[in-house]
Formats: sequence, structure tokens, C-alpha cells
Amino acid sequence: MNKAFLISLSLSLAVLSSAHAAPPKQPKAPGIESPDYAWDAQSAEEAQLLKMKGDVENGKIAYQGCQGCHKPDASGLSDGTYPQLAGQHTTVLIKQMSDVREGRRDNPKMFPFAGKHVVDTQEVADIAAYLNSLPLPGNNDKGPGNDLARGKALYQKDCVSCHGERGEGNAGKFYPVTNGQHYRYMVRQIVSIRDGSRRNANPKMVKVVKRYSTSDIGAVADFMSRISPLKKADK
Amino acid sequence: MIRPILFILALSSIGTAYAAIPVKGDAKKGAAIAKLVCIACHGADGNGITPPNPDYPKLAGKQPEYLLKQLKDFKAGKRKNDIMAGMVANLSPDDMANLSLHFAAQKSTPGAVKNPELLEFGKKFYTEGNPDQGVPACAGCHLPDGSGTTVYPHIAGQYSSYVYQQLKRFSSGERDNDRGLVMQSLSLRMTDQEMKAVSEYITSLK
Repeated sequence: MNKAFLISLSLSLAVLSSAHAAPPKQPKAPGIESPDYAWDAQSAEEAQLLKMKGDVENGKIAYQGCQGCHKPDASGLSDGTYPQLAGQHTTVLIKQMSDVREGRRDNPKMFPFAGKHVVDTQEVADIAAYLNSLPLPGNNDKGPGNDLARGKALYQKDCVSCHGERGEGNAGKFYPVTNGQHYRYMVRQIVSIRDGSRRNANPKMVKVVKRYSTSDIGAVADFMSRISPLKKADK
Repeated sequence: MIRPILFILALSSIGTAYAAIPVKGDAKKGAAIAKLVCIACHGADGNGITPPNPDYPKLAGKQPEYLLKQLKDFKAGKRKNDIMAGMVANLSPDDMANLSLHFAAQKSTPGAVKNPELLEFGKKFYTEGNPDQGVPACAGCHLPDGSGTTVYPHIAGQYSSYVYQQLKRFSSGERDNDRGLVMQSLSLRMTDQEMKAVSEYITSLK
């Protein structure tokens, strides 16, 4: 008997003898606060996922475990608690799910339903393919509409080069489709990117929105929520 | 020696949602066993007994995949229940498959609502969950009519007392044989009032 065997035996006995299994807690991986952070560095699973071909039909089944929050049409919740996901780029979905699964995006609410203990790698690929195949619902939450000229000016100056004229994003660069996203979700995310609590943010974006007041964020998110709807995001 | 142990641990913790394997067997043979073994608590048709007992759920119309998983888990001690452990001790894998097919083929009788004043809130919780606390809508997995899928069981018309008791057991960890401990995770975020109301609504589903 070697040492590794004894360790694995005692570990398995500990598992067997514990009274109840408990759901795992979300891990915490280094993020934007760490000195060698690279926002689009790929973990082993993420690199694997980006090469896999997701199955839309299987993804529809696996997505049943998600639709209790994100809704059957993947439109989320207009108050911004849950984002709109239909038609999102596959790459973006994979990156964000990986970041939640591996603890680079803190989301204790979602983790119990999306961690590796419940959704396997193939299912992530399938869910991403399924969501990408869905039409954008086009009924998203909009802002108050009282500062749109300023919102447009900010968007044209600071955001359009990455997020695109119509908020179509960029699949190859992991920039999300923001067209049709809920206003209150976008405000919440931009604030947490500005303030550092969204730890998987792109530092380029952090630099831009650092200068933004909360009312600037409201204005630009309001403008973005009202860009004429895309029917289908590009791949 | 190391590999088998690690392999067993890996098997027990991972499952693919759509990998539910269809149950094969003979429902008629299952019916014969039900009349001998299950009838006193679950009724021969799996609709339970009168008056309802929270320890004796309805089994009629549940997915055979779900029923078979529960029987196997009782036998393996993964779902701990002294009565059921005794009942399944003498059942073979074929017996359990046959029983699952028998009860799955029975028609579930409508549930009896005892506290109709809870239904409105119960319906809201069932269909919307609790976004503030991160509780998914029950309807997401169990479907709006409670008919479920091969992965998530049929729950429509189940005794409210049984549903409530199971939610309590999931939240305490006493029941921990759910896939990915998803039921445990979400029930830990539920209030007692939410459990009571949603149990009543589930009973009312047809």
C-alpha cells in the first residue's frame, strides 16, 4: 500500500461517513484584482469548449435546468435580475459560464445550478449552441428615455468600436451582444465592472467606465436598450 | 486498488442530464409484485392510501426512470428510509424495473387541496421562483403543468404533505440523492411559507 492509496482511501471514507452531502460552494479564482490577470485567458475546460461542437437539440434538454430563472425563451427577467441570453454569441456564453463555473465571475446564486457538479462540459457546449440558435426576443426592459442624446454620444465615443453600431458585439473577441439586453441588467453590470466587483471584466472597458458617473451609465445603457432590435446575432 | 475507488467516486458525482436510460421490463410482472409488496402503503395503482400519509407518496404516472432511480437509491442507501430499505431488500434489479414500469403506467388521481388560500402565492412561486433569493421557478424543470421530464419527475397532484416533507428533507440534507444537489441548494433558499404554498399548488396541478 502506498501513501497515495491511503490518502484516497481516507478521503473516500470521509465522504462515505459524512452524514449528508452538501452542495459545493463556488470556488474563487484570481480575477482582475490579481497582477498577472489576462481577461480572456482560457482555462483548460474553456479552451476545450471553444473547440467543441454543441448540439442544439441536446442543449434544449440541458437548458431545462436553466429556464427556471432565464425563462423558456431565454429572455431573462426585465428587472435585470437575470440577463437575456437568446441569440448571444456561443463564445460569450462559453466564456461566461466557464468563469462562473471556475470562480472568475462571482455568482453564488447561479453556481449551484451551473457548476461542474451538475452540468458537464458537453452540456455547457450544448446549452451555448442552443441559446445561440434562439431568436432575440426584442421585448427587453428599457430605461426612462430622458437622456438619450447623451447616451448616444457616450456610446458612439466609447463603446461602438467594440460593441458595434447595433450592439452586435464580436464573437471572436468575446464581446457580447448587448442589443436587446435589459436596461437594468446592463446598468448593474456596468456599475460592477466600474467598481471592480465583476472580477472577469475586460480592463479596457474598466478604464473607459471608470470615468462614468452613475447617471452616465444610466444614459448609455438606456440608449443601448433602445437600439433597433437585431433578429439574429451574427455567429 | 486506487483506481476503482476513484472511479466509483467519480461515477457517483457526475451525471449527464439527457443520458436517462429508458427502463426496460414487464409492467405486468411489476403489477403482481405491487399487489404483494407495495399495496399497503402506495395502493395497487400507486395513488396512495386514504387518508393520505406524508410517508407514502403517490407513484402513479411518475416517469419510470425516476421511479427506478429512487428504488435503486433506497437499495444502495443513497436515499435513506428505513421502511423502503426493508421493502427493496428482496427486490432484484428486474423486479425494480418492472415495478417502475407498472406504476409509471398508472393514471395519477387528482390531488385534494386543503388550504386554497395558499394557491395564489403557491402558483406565483411555482411559476416565477424567488429571483431575489435565487430560487429558480419549479416550472423550469418540472414544467408548468408539473408533468416533468425523464430527468425531473412528474409532481402534479402529489400529496402536499409529502411534497412539503421532501422540501424540508432536502433543505436539512436528510435527503441528498438529487442530481447535483439542486433541490437541496434551492430549498435552502426557501421560507417555510413558500414550501407550504408551493406544496399546495403542486397538489392542485392536474
